[in-house]
Amino acid sequence: MIRFLFKGIIRDKNRSLLPVLVISIGVFLTVLGSCWFKGIFSDMIDVNANFSTGHVKIMSRAYADNAGQMPNDLALSEAGQLVEELQTAYPGLEWVQRIHFGGLLDVPDEAGETRGQGMATGWGIDFFSPGTQEPQRMNIPGSIVKGALPARPGEALISHEFAERFGIGIGDTVTLFGSTMYGGMAFANFTVAGAVRFGMRALDRGAIIIDITDAQAALDMADAAGEILGFFRDGRYDGARALQLKTDFNARYESETDEFAPLMLRLNDQNGLEDYLALSESISGIMIFIFVLAMSIVLWNTGLLGGLRRYNEFGIRLAMGEEKKHIYRTLIIESVLIGAIGSVVGTALGLAAALPLQEYGLSFGSAVQGGGIMMPEVFRTRVGPEAFYIGFIPGLVSMVLGNALSGIGIYRRRTAVLFKELSV
Amino acid sequence: MLAIKLAFKNIIGAGFRTFLNIAVLSFAFVVIIWHNGVIDGWNKQARRDTIEWEIGRGQLWHPTFDPLDFLSYQDAHAPLSETVQALVEEGQLTPILIAQASAFPQGRMQGVILKGIDPGQKILKIPSGLLEARNGQIPALIGSRMADDIRMKEGDQLLIRWRDKNGTFDALEVIIAGVFDCNVPTIDGGQIWLPLESLRQMLNMPGEATLLVAGENYTGGDAEPWVFRSQDYLLADLDLIIQSKKGGGAIIYGLLLVIALLAIFDTQVLSIFRRQKEIGTYIALGMTRWQVVGIFTVEGSVYSILAILLGALYGAPLLWYTAKVGWALPAASTDMGISIAERIYPVYGAGLIAATIVLVVLASTIVSFLPARKIARLNPTDALKGKIQ
Amino acid sequence: MKNIAILIFPALFLFAFGLAPDANEILKKVEENMSSKNRVFESEMVIHGRRGKRTITARTYSVGDKQSFTEYLSPAREAGTKMLKLENQLWIYSPATDRTIQISGHLLRQSVMGSDLSYEDMMDDRKLTEVYSAKTIGEEVLDGRKTYVLELTAKVDDAAYNRRKMWVDAERYVPLREDLFAKGGQLLKRTILSNVQQIEGRWFPLTIVFKDMLKDGGGTEFRMTKVQFNQDIPAYLFTKAALKQ
Repeated sequence: MIRFLFKGIIRDKNRSLLPVLVISIGVFLTVLGSCWFKGIFSDMIDVNANFSTGHVKIMSRAYADNAGQMPNDLALSEAGQLVEELQTAYPGLEWVQRIHFGGLLDVPDEAGETRGQGMATGWGIDFFSPGTQEPQRMNIPGSIVKGALPARPGEALISHEFAERFGIGIGDTVTLFGSTMYGGMAFANFTVAGAVRFGMRALDRGAIIIDITDAQAALDMADAAGEILGFFRDGRYDGARALQLKTDFNARYESETDEFAPLMLRLNDQNGLEDYLALSESISGIMIFIFVLAMSIVLWNTGLLGGLRRYNEFGIRLAMGEEKKHIYRTLIIESVLIGAIGSVVGTALGLAAALPLQEYGLSFGSAVQGGGIMMPEVFRTRVGPEAFYIGFIPGLVSMVLGNALSGIGIYRRRTAVLFKELSV
Repeated sequence: MLAIKLAFKNIIGAGFRTFLNIAVLSFAFVVIIWHNGVIDGWNKQARRDTIEWEIGRGQLWHPTFDPLDFLSYQDAHAPLSETVQALVEEGQLTPILIAQASAFPQGRMQGVILKGIDPGQKILKIPSGLLEARNGQIPALIGSRMADDIRMKEGDQLLIRWRDKNGTFDALEVIIAGVFDCNVPTIDGGQIWLPLESLRQMLNMPGEATLLVAGENYTGGDAEPWVFRSQDYLLADLDLIIQSKKGGGAIIYGLLLVIALLAIFDTQVLSIFRRQKEIGTYIALGMTRWQVVGIFTVEGSVYSILAILLGALYGAPLLWYTAKVGWALPAASTDMGISIAERIYPVYGAGLIAATIVLVVLASTIVSFLPARKIARLNPTDALKGKIQ
Repeated sequence: MKNIAILIFPALFLFAFGLAPDANEILKKVEENMSSKNRVFESEMVIHGRRGKRTITARTYSVGDKQSFTEYLSPAREAGTKMLKLENQLWIYSPATDRTIQISGHLLRQSVMGSDLSYEDMMDDRKLTEVYSAKTIGEEVLDGRKTYVLELTAKVDDAAYNRRKMWVDAERYVPLREDLFAKGGQLLKRTILSNVQQIEGRWFPLTIVFKDMLKDGGGTEFRMTKVQFNQDIPAYLFTKAALKQ
């Protein structure tokens, strides 16, 4: 019988095309909308994770105590080995080393003497490992105003405003003067490969981004790192998994009394993100609920209409002696079929729209300032597992419910009246 | 007029289905207003907080003062001229003196910024009254972020070391006279507020200031050597962020609106399909086809009017409630240096509501018109017979 | 209590009767003893940080108090780094980058090599007698040596420390300990000088320990080896060009 009904749906465009179209569009909007909500609320989390907290972060205990002050004298030593151990023990995460430092950027004249100088905040991140995600994570490619990413050791990105202020061009040399991990004087020359705009005034005034190995060399931090950040490979923060990881990792070092023993924090523990996470969960839940509810009403309406427009047909079928129960059952099965087709199509379309948006995002901020902004003003969708089923709630359930309600009319009226009164 | 009357009758006649359509549209309507209200509320609140706590009606800066360059603080100070001093005494300006120093909480050294403020000032909301002298020891005021950072609470002693104008070292213990809670991170993190006169003495800078904050009545611009920085200048960063947040939100309610419009569109298609005889009759009675299109289009827009009424019915108390109670936000993202309140009170302006009404009515009129256009191509006799394809 | 009384009483007694040498005289003698036309010395600086200690060696040439040239010898990372001070200007040259960086203004207040000394501390080149007026406030025995305790009070506006307390070896006129105070009276830094040796006829403390009293930490130890006075130092050493050589 299902095959028979299916044929009917295919052949009768009135029965199939419009409802399927409406359901598809509705489900598409629901899927896209819910992904969008998820995206907006996880945006803030992502910015924090990518820039500073990671999904989990490992520092020395002493460093963690003073983390606000970039205390590289308290950095983790033997970081390379630790990263290897982490990769073996927790392969589900990508582990990266970073160094966040402060120093003086000095611009030389022809004689190699100081022409200008200014304080700068610096990052050492992994630019050169094959497959490194770090530049993307920091949104560097999108923030470059001129020049390019460092292509080889010894190259650096500096803030655009700093470059403008001192008339520094691509290919010029700047010297970083800072403090080594042991308190000694750190000197290093860098060739400017590009200039970036962060969109934060404090950073735009003076900043330098170099490769982690350059930072280690410059700051006498051989095999040391200020921070080791862990990112779940699927790019999603999972609070429960992170907690488990943190508990497990910190337990290994529990008995150590060394202030340089590693300590793992998860994203929740940093920058006051715990509250934000809780809030975003509840808000996005409420918004998605409203969305699904609204869509359900629309599709219920569609179901109702679908049933109503066929009263004439039902009248004839009743007149021909078909049982009310049978008509009602076929109506429901048809609506299940239509709802399922529409939901599948709509979900597929929704995912097709949400996935690229997850990758590339939509930018609103850059239009404001012109040029890239490192603090993302780019909005992205986020495709979670719920994206695959959430469309079926309005698509299938509401459609069937609508049809079921409109079909009640079949029972309510006498055959002849139904035939006559309800005919178009 | 006839069109509107007919439209109302037809729509009301459709009963339950109409209600469903209207309900969805009213959802979109209320959410649009709510979302924009939250952003406007945040914007207003952030601006208000920043104005009340930090920038007043603008600030007069020492020409070499650069808030982002701590090293500039050492030279960015000057005595107040008589005219400026007179304005201070009238309460139009309040001077603030800024210097770099080191604090030693728990034996660690930490760079801090000292800010001197007149305990009697009325322009900023900082509870400077707590800085009134108490038995000989210099009182200090810190924000809650700073208090967390250096693990200090009210009544604790904090050792600070600084160098006066001539570079002479000095140090003493101040007593934390209060910890204030405020949404403006730029007056909190890494800063210690002291009584202006104490700081002037400490720095050996009698009668001097780094900047002056203007109060309600301040009208003057620059006042040699001070450079006037307007509110717009001082709020530029904040404006930028708000603007982009609006963009992200527009997508949300855009989608919701599309859903609602989809419902109207669907209903319109069906009603035109089912009411061919009626359409034929209208034309037979002498209406032009475009008049009939008008009737059906107006019917669609009447949905939006009903939706707005319905939205007003449940939305008004709901929105009023949210505006009163506010929306709690955690203290996240304060590290980004942007003022975000812990509780945002949405602000629903008349302009916002009017614009939303226009948007909803216009949009639903357009989607009602699209299927109704079909009528214009209709052959009246076919329509009367009920043949429409 | 009794011990202090025993110590202080004779001191007061002497002081009251003017038997102790005049404080400014003592200070002058100290300066005569400590300063020379020029000097060349090698030094080791031991810095106690949270990661343990590290030692930096250097050779310094100085003429009077205004000019000095330091070349770092070890560790390998710092070797070849040179620092030139002329009056109140400071340049640092690093061979690795072939750059001469001027350290000016506010940066001078930064710590040198993570020690308890700032660049400025190293640059303070005025004679104590120019900056402070001294007063004897007692006598104490320090490490078995009799010392005069001097209180130095700034007589100029721009002294880094408003008040110092100095323990001067009563026989050799070498300071053995010094406390530096803030204007408000807070003890800021303490310097302990020891290993006093006679070099070319003058007594000279070869080990100096600096300690910032406000923060926790082990302080910084400065040991001079191979001190020579009144050498022939070529004048070109005190030019920026010499940094690059």
